Amino acid sequence: MWRVIKSVLAAFFGVQKESRRHEDFSRGRASHFIIAGILMGGVLVLLIALVASLAAR
Amino acid sequence: MRMRLVWTAGLVACSGLSGSVLANGWNMPVGVTDVSREIHSLHMTIFWICVVIGVVVFGAMFYSLFRYRRSRGAKAANFHEHTTVEVIWTLIPILILVAMAIPATATLKTMYDTSEADLDVMVTGQQWRWRYDYLGEDVAFTSNLATARSQVSGESAKQENYLLEVDEPLVLPVDRKVRLLMTSDDVIHSWWVPDLAVKQDAVPGFVNENWVRINEPGIYRGQCAELCGRDHAFMPVVVKAVEPERFDAWLAERKEAAAQEAMGVDREWELDELMERGEQVYGTICASCHQPDGSGSPPAFPALAGNQAILDDPDYHIDTVVNGVSGSAMPAFRSTLNPVELAAVITYERNAWGNETGEAIQPAEIAELLDEQ
Repeated sequence: MWRVIKSVLAAFFGVQKESRRHEDFSRGRASHFIIAGILMGGVLVLLIALVASLAAR
Repeated sequence: MRMRLVWTAGLVACSGLSGSVLANGWNMPVGVTDVSREIHSLHMTIFWICVVIGVVVFGAMFYSLFRYRRSRGAKAANFHEHTTVEVIWTLIPILILVAMAIPATATLKTMYDTSEADLDVMVTGQQWRWRYDYLGEDVAFTSNLATARSQVSGESAKQENYLLEVDEPLVLPVDRKVRLLMTSDDVIHSWWVPDLAVKQDAVPGFVNENWVRINEPGIYRGQCAELCGRDHAFMPVVVKAVEPERFDAWLAERKEAAAQEAMGVDREWELDELMERGEQVYGTICASCHQPDGSGSPPAFPALAGNQAILDDPDYHIDTVVNGVSGSAMPAFRSTLNPVELAAVITYERNAWGNETGEAIQPAEIAELLDEQ
């Protein structure tokens, strides 16, 4: 679980270690990464909306 | 030593070049409002950040290309990835972007704060002129191109403010917050005055807001910045900023004149009076399509001289001018011209260039028609 989250965060940032990439592709399941990516994408949008509404106050 | 000389020469050349670019008016103007100054300084800050990034990145690249060329025996490194370096070159742009976004967002917030204005002016784009309504003051007028058509066709020399001059400028007070409400009667226009740092789309059916607080009296010129048809280049913006006391005096004068004009609707007008006024209106509004001599440019713009369809039927003539002809290039002038101007220009068209109906169309008649519709 934590490993999936870290990999999705690395994808958001755009940089990933080669060793972790190998690990993800050999051990992980695609559906886990996709679901985590969609959920965390939503969280990112909500975070940005929160920051924007705080700034606009 | 030689290297340092080359660098110094390069720097001198660069700064000389940028200096001349700024001095020659190729840069955006500093402008005459606090917002325009902020925008200019943001622009310059970001410009110099880009220059530094460009020099560093291309400098490193050219240096590497030169220093580690194959003829000097350089061997290519062979590695796949380097996480630390990748993290660094991702973080640095993020920090630079955030550093630029903070002051830029602060300026944007100021620009969008249209609250607590001292004066509201409605700016309406029309093909091809601007109309200004001083809301709540009963003062409204259209601002038409004042450059003679002979300068456009090259028959006479082009003057200094060629295509940047109007018959009636938008008069605004300095040191007061003026809210500009932008809309359009026909197609999308854009009201653009570089010195005020305002470029706002005027969209039919929408009201966009912007505001200015001008610091220095003066005349500021601009243009329509959204391609809006044949005479897009012929609808300039001229803003005349004056001291608040002078503005108040001007506004009072315009109100008085508007009241006079409203009274003029009820009285009986002589043919000569209407002809004189009509010639003026025709020259600013109609002549660009129907030509100063009424010959038109058929088939798009029919001739008015000797046009039996309008001469035989005054009602048809009046309806055409007031309501326009849908599906053609003829716009409705009911909101552009007042009843006196409408009556005058129709009378003029019926009695100029060999048209001799001898009819005087009375402003009262037009006013009644406008009320009914």
